[in-house]
Amino acid sequence: MNVRSLIGLLVVLALGVLFWWGMQTKDQRSELPTALAGRQAPTFEMELLDAYTGKWGQKLNLGDYLGKKPIVLNFWASWCTVCYEEASVVEAAWRRWGKQVMFVGVDTQDERSKGNEFVARFGLTFPNVYDPRGKIGIDYGMYGVPETFVISRAGKVVERHAGAVDAPTLEKMIREVLK
Amino acid sequence: MKRWLLVLLLLAVPVAAQTVGNQPPPDYSPKVFEIAKKLRCPVCRGESAAESNAGVTQEMRRQIAEMLKEGKSEDEIIQYFVDRYTNWILYEPPKKGLGLVVWLAPVLGLLIFGLGFYAYTRAAAQREAAMVDVDDAEIARVEAELEERSRSGGKS
Repeated sequence: MNVRSLIGLLVVLALGVLFWWGMQTKDQRSELPTALAGRQAPTFEMELLDAYTGKWGQKLNLGDYLGKKPIVLNFWASWCTVCYEEASVVEAAWRRWGKQVMFVGVDTQDERSKGNEFVARFGLTFPNVYDPRGKIGIDYGMYGVPETFVISRAGKVVERHAGAVDAPTLEKMIREVLK
Repeated sequence: MKRWLLVLLLLAVPVAAQTVGNQPPPDYSPKVFEIAKKLRCPVCRGESAAESNAGVTQEMRRQIAEMLKEGKSEDEIIQYFVDRYTNWILYEPPKKGLGLVVWLAPVLGLLIFGLGFYAYTRAAAQREAAMVDVDDAEIARVEAELEERSRSGGKS
């Protein structure tokens, strides 16, 4: 093999490697990084959906719970079909770990009436705040609903899950912050 | 003639619509869109926060406008989003670290192409220079000699 053929072969090989690397690059939102991991969780005070005002008051301030017990923060919207898959999973986890872990749902960029219908449909008993503009989502660097964050007892963001969370994944995330 | 005018009018409609669509709405200053252009839309593919009309980008633009009103600089506003989304949120890769490779790659590619092209043309010029110009008289002489040889049966 002469030098020219060898160079040609190397160029083809390099292009092949480049193509393979490009195909490997993931754009799965669940694998995108969260800038907040290990950092203090942003706090917020937001109005609650109608079903929760009797027990929790008009507004919920996350700061009242940060640093006291672990928190599961679940972002959802009634227009998000994937959110229908996980709603009952999150409710079941709340019923199981509710005494040790605080659960807060965030109905984001939604119509209030549709958010109210959603929580009634799935019988969500953990408090859900209403964030029509999606401000909290940006504070948490959210890419899109549904997304679930777990916050440690110390008030730091530990992990983020993008997409519908299933029971084993949520359990693993909760056990991580209960350690 | 009328038909041509109609065709021109039809072609002009999308162009005019594009111009209007790219104008910032009156409630935000152009600076808001200038900054939003440098940020990616988190829920879209290949769109900046200035172009996208997704709910999250509308909120991003609102927050940018608020921060500008508070007197924050462009760098501070961009850093606010980087702190939440990492460098992923930047529409253009940063001109440092790994991002610098992306910026330098086209220059490097051009440089390699330029060097290759220079080497090729130089070699071609050398080949051409190696060719000796032969005048008509010399060609006639060689032709005559060849003819003579073929007549004498190849004997010299």
